[in-house]
Amino acid sequence: MSNITQDEGAHLLRRMGFSGSPAEIDEITALGREGAVDFLINYESIDNRAMEDLLRTSFDFSNPLDFPRFNRGELQRWWFTRMVYTRRPFEEKMTLFWHNHFATSASKTGDLFIYNQNLTLRGYALDRFDNLLLKVAQDPAMLLWLDGVTNVRGRPNENFSRELQELFTMGITDVVTGDPNYTEEDVKEIARAFTGWKFFHNRFDPDPFSYRFIVNESEHDNTIKTVYSGSPWALSGNLGGEDVIVTICARRATARYLVKKLLEFFVYPVDGSAVDKATIEKFADVYVNRNHSIKELVRAIFTSDEFFSERARFALVKSPVEIIVGAIRMLGARYNPGTSAREGASDNTLAAISIFLGQDLFNPPDVSGWKLNLGWINTSTLLNRFTYADLLVVNRARDLNAPGLWLSHEQLRSFAKKNSKKTVKRLLSRLGPLEVDSEMIGALRTYLESDDHGNRVGFTIDDLTLDKKVRGLIHLIMCLSEFQLN
Amino acid sequence: MPVTRRQFIKRGAGMVTVGMVIPRFWLSEARGEQIDFDPQRKLVVIQLAGGNDGFNTVVPYTDARYYSLRPVLAFRDTELKAKDGTSTIISNEFGLHPAMAEIKQLYDAGRVAVVQGVGYPNPNLSHFLSMDIWHTADIDGLGSRGWLGKYADLALIGQPNLTAASLGSLELPKSLGADRFVVPNIINFSLYNFLADPNYPGDYNNQINTFNFAASRSMPAGGFLGTVNSTAFESVRGAQQVQRSVSGYNSSVLYPPNNPLAAALRMVAQLMTTIPEASLLYVQMGGFDNHSDQIGDRQGDRSNKSIGDHAMLLRWFSEAIKLFHADLTEHGLADQVLMMQWSEFGRRPGENASFGTDHGTAAPVFVMGNPVRGGLYGAHPSLAAADLDPAGNVRFRVDFREVYATILDRWLGADSRAVLGAQYSDVGFLG
Repeated sequence: MSNITQDEGAHLLRRMGFSGSPAEIDEITALGREGAVDFLINYESIDNRAMEDLLRTSFDFSNPLDFPRFNRGELQRWWFTRMVYTRRPFEEKMTLFWHNHFATSASKTGDLFIYNQNLTLRGYALDRFDNLLLKVAQDPAMLLWLDGVTNVRGRPNENFSRELQELFTMGITDVVTGDPNYTEEDVKEIARAFTGWKFFHNRFDPDPFSYRFIVNESEHDNTIKTVYSGSPWALSGNLGGEDVIVTICARRATARYLVKKLLEFFVYPVDGSAVDKATIEKFADVYVNRNHSIKELVRAIFTSDEFFSERARFALVKSPVEIIVGAIRMLGARYNPGTSAREGASDNTLAAISIFLGQDLFNPPDVSGWKLNLGWINTSTLLNRFTYADLLVVNRARDLNAPGLWLSHEQLRSFAKKNSKKTVKRLLSRLGPLEVDSEMIGALRTYLESDDHGNRVGFTIDDLTLDKKVRGLIHLIMCLSEFQLN
Repeated sequence: MPVTRRQFIKRGAGMVTVGMVIPRFWLSEARGEQIDFDPQRKLVVIQLAGGNDGFNTVVPYTDARYYSLRPVLAFRDTELKAKDGTSTIISNEFGLHPAMAEIKQLYDAGRVAVVQGVGYPNPNLSHFLSMDIWHTADIDGLGSRGWLGKYADLALIGQPNLTAASLGSLELPKSLGADRFVVPNIINFSLYNFLADPNYPGDYNNQINTFNFAASRSMPAGGFLGTVNSTAFESVRGAQQVQRSVSGYNSSVLYPPNNPLAAALRMVAQLMTTIPEASLLYVQMGGFDNHSDQIGDRQGDRSNKSIGDHAMLLRWFSEAIKLFHADLTEHGLADQVLMMQWSEFGRRPGENASFGTDHGTAAPVFVMGNPVRGGLYGAHPSLAAADLDPAGNVRFRVDFREVYATILDRWLGADSRAVLGAQYSDVGFLG
């Protein structure tokens, strides 16, 4: 087992989860590199009952037709509550990865089916890629989103066939060799293979959320389809969608494309250099050799030297969800989602903020997902990040049972140290740990020590200083450009 | 008088006040600027996203092929009439969509140049790729900087006041992507603010000063930190100015709230009338991807072609332009403002089976405002079967980069070659 430092433990939690408190970072760090990754990946063995209990009292998803209790806002509140409270952060992070990968919007599918898709993504997040892809493809959400339900014999619709190859598996060209992966003819042939894919609800099934997949034989094109002619993956016959999925998942191009997407989401942006191509090939081998297991692939990535390299550290821009959930988890701020049992007793602040930061969960901008890194950054979205920081620090604890988001006075007291330098360093560490130079530390100390006229009057820990200056310091640190990185 | 970057930095040493810090990344760039910025030559770019149907925007009402390609969607000459009965015909060949009554009035007043057949070689029918091509003026779609971003890098760095912005949308359009200059993206004015704890208003200056110290640090090259930091600096600097200024806006023009383009152009008017340097503004309206039910009411009655999705969008477009122009006139700014509309492609001349049109190629571009020499420019693409490409689309007659070059050279005082990388001919709609 190789040891890791606290900074490396924090890096691991930022990427595999949504950052954490010092206690959580300590816990991870003590496990060492492989142990920590194993712990986070084998999340099914982590006790998550506290979150499950909270979800039971906060939400009522028993009836999809009960609009006040089951709607897009409630789904968003539900997912944010999970991300804030889960003891299995990698489960949520991986679900978020797949939501971006198989980007589907409730604006077309409706709320029930986007919820079902979210459960599918979570349930199969670390399965064999073939299994996940098949489940997603047969889910009502995808069948509606990319017009699978109108893809019928004689009138094929190419929407799913195209995106299956371009966005979900291989990309237009191989990410290592640059060779084209498929032709327009393949798009047409594969569209025919998926004709007749439908879903239905059995009217005797008491579960209103339960939908089943079926191939409607009368709408399925039973003629010969020929795909990838002249290549080692050439296939011909009365193909169905499953045959195509198995073939695509076995192609090296899929392994490479998937590795690249995982690296860019979890490690660092990759370029066309020989070094990066070799890295992609190394992990593509894992996919191939470990029977397309997503779990084994991500285990290899997170335990790799590339993941723990200097290059990877703070090499990504935090997504809105990472900003919002990360700050709460790092600071130990309190978010009480409230309950949908009574009107006006729930709080959906986090989802509302996320929209203004550019990430409306269950409603990505298009099928290619959100644009990462600088795609998150413009002057408005940055100001909105600062406004979130402000919101977090200016909300004082009131009734602990009231819904909302706040930072308590006791929490502030635990952050303050005996002088300004130690207090600044403590909070920079708590919110990262962020590395900033001594000049910046000096400016933050000046802030702590200055009165309203800009005179330096020193720093003493009293209630007013805690309430005014320590809250103000947290706001300023969350406005630092370093804090925007992950 | 335009302030050059050098003058600004020289003066800046004595004029730095609370909340006003020159970021170090500007100081390190303190070379002579390449274009003299003239704040009285303003440009408003209006993007109609989704692919606007050019053939039903500027209708070739004498072309028999238009009628054979569009048995349902085509407008007869007798149908080219606005609601009040006035004709929207602009020449003995062309008429505007009947929903564009206001633009017809401006056309008659010589304030509208209609450039026909605008496109580019080897047209791309993907929304994303074709938009990228127009945004970056790079035909391969590989450009990272926008054409207006390149202009901003040459002309706007070092200006102390807000000179450019995209208004009303969540994402900054790629046209405005620059290397060094940060174009503000303003979703709405009330959110565009740097807030601190309202319990301690006396601490606000300390907050701003510390923030500005942080956001004016030089950042290491490579990675994302430098761009994030320069964007952070611009966000708060611009926010302070926007908050000080836009509340001073006063106008008798009423912009209807249900017209999204009017709402965005109202924001442009708010900025232009209260910040004299605000010169490069960008707004957009989506919904033009009319694959189906382009005409007709919700019940499927297609007898009245002047209602339906496309008509509604063009009515908003026309109404918004007129109100904005009236607002500019009221504020004495109409001679200073040029407007350019574009869309990533037109629609196919042949209608589809769903009473809509699929992705096409060349389409008209409208350049509007007092500075233009009104009239028809370019040429209408031939609809003859032999002249259509295998997908049934028309061939372009004017390269969109010629439109850009004309605006850069004849209005913005730039050398278009520095922005576009080559020489393009002057379309002729500017003086």
